[in-house]
Amino acid sequence: MNKNIIIKIVSLIIVIIALIWTLYPLVWIIFSSFKAPLEQFTIPPKWIPEKFTLRNYKIFFSNAEFVRTFFNSVLVTTSSTILALIFGIPAAYGLARFNWKHANLLSFIILLARMTPPVVMVLPFFLISRYLNLSGTYIPIIIACSFFSVPFAVWMMQGFFSEIPESLEEAARIDGCTRFEALTKIVLPLVLPGISATSILCALISWNEFLFALVLTGQETRTLPVLVNMFVSEKNVDWGVMSAAALITVIPMIVFGLLVQNNLVKGLTVGSEK
Amino acid sequence: MSERKNFNHIQYILPSLLFILVIFLIPIIYTLVISFFSWNLLRPDLGIKFVGFKNYLQALKDPFTWETIGRTFYFVIISVLLELIFGFSLALSLNTEFKGWKIVQSIILIPFMIAPVVVGFAWKFIVNNDYGPLPHFLINLGLTSITENPLLANPTTAMFMIIMADVWEYTPFVTLVLLAGLKALPQEPYEAAYVDGASAIQRFFYITLPLLRPSIMVAVVIRTLTSLRVFDTIFIMTGGGPGSATETLSFYGYRLAFQSYQMGYSSTINLISFFLAIIFTLIYMKLIGWDSNE
Repeated sequence: MNKNIIIKIVSLIIVIIALIWTLYPLVWIIFSSFKAPLEQFTIPPKWIPEKFTLRNYKIFFSNAEFVRTFFNSVLVTTSSTILALIFGIPAAYGLARFNWKHANLLSFIILLARMTPPVVMVLPFFLISRYLNLSGTYIPIIIACSFFSVPFAVWMMQGFFSEIPESLEEAARIDGCTRFEALTKIVLPLVLPGISATSILCALISWNEFLFALVLTGQETRTLPVLVNMFVSEKNVDWGVMSAAALITVIPMIVFGLLVQNNLVKGLTVGSEK
Repeated sequence: MSERKNFNHIQYILPSLLFILVIFLIPIIYTLVISFFSWNLLRPDLGIKFVGFKNYLQALKDPFTWETIGRTFYFVIISVLLELIFGFSLALSLNTEFKGWKIVQSIILIPFMIAPVVVGFAWKFIVNNDYGPLPHFLINLGLTSITENPLLANPTTAMFMIIMADVWEYTPFVTLVLLAGLKALPQEPYEAAYVDGASAIQRFFYITLPLLRPSIMVAVVIRTLTSLRVFDTIFIMTGGGPGSATETLSFYGYRLAFQSYQMGYSSTINLISFFLAIIFTLIYMKLIGWDSNE
């Protein structure tokens, strides 16, 4: 009995430390985004601003270029996520349902595509899009983002499809449905939570992609991570506006991520429960 | 019937297979080809010259290549080890019965959703010697020797700051994988051990650890693969510096291509990264048993 209490106390302490550690940078950035410029430079630094100001957010949203960057991110993320679902869902279904003798090779290629360091791909992408005169358009960055999200969607959806018993589809087919009808009418509604989690994670990949965006986007097509980088590389960093920009970059993904949290965890750990 | 069935599944798989093959294999083959050429993007007058294995010999001979591989592995091993230790303790703690854990789990998940660029920025800000809270916190603790130099300007502490940012971002992932593993553990061995009077520590080492091995391995291999690709946080926090103290393979490949404009040599270095990715992907497939069905 005593031991149980000790274990509980130790667990509680570990969890509290983890919470402080996790929230430390976040809270600092949140407070900084509400500080006036003068308060950014107090030594020693103060956590809570004396006067909360919306100045940093106003600067961000009144700058047409910044707002454009935000919409660039939305455009690139949405397009590449739609591509990922269009290509990924049928392939995942095919892999989960049919015994194909080359399935292992395909799984390997998909996994390798997912695991290849971006730096390996960025140089050929850059040279090829330069050769095809696509530099400065949205096409290279959208395709680059789908390069990461398509394999991911296949990999994750495969796990969700294999959880749906095949007998359900067979029953539908005995009743006269074609395989495609069985897929769209019976299976897809059942894996809808999986699809939403997959799209959020695909969106997360594209929204947060930096290296490709850095190399492949121009002034017009720049996305949020590149903007954050531009702030950091300036000599006189305006930490306040910078913090606001950082928060604007991360908040949409945190909200979406927490909405699909349970399936997200399941999708992330595909294969690990085997 | 079997022919129809065959046609059927190709029809589902083919579009994405073609997409991946075109988008993935063409750039890889292209990289392979230019790794045999000398090509400086800023010197079109020199042209693109076939040089055979010269880039490869140069990469093998240059001690800097080996130092960079060493640094990359130093980074990967230390970060994955720390993530495993922290993630495991946290997963064990969250596996106890407590009402508030659900909310805690949501909060702990947050770093995973934050763009690595922002993670890099946040930590760069926090460890800033003048305006960041961490150096002042260390001074208050009396650790003035660490903060004499700016934390990102000292080769040893700079690497450790990058590791810290990485640990912050990816410990949640390790925690979640291990927690999922812990929740799926069978109860019988524990009941038997309880009857036999095994202590909590014995139960941990003789039941939990061996049974959880698959989850631990999956977490370690995935994290190894993803931390081999580290780039964003390094780019933002140190730009590979001071000197080349935080330059990993990914960063080196980037610098050769986009700062020195040596397309051929950069491709050769990138192929080393690719080769490492292949090895660890094969290990991962073996672990989750994808190579064993048929």
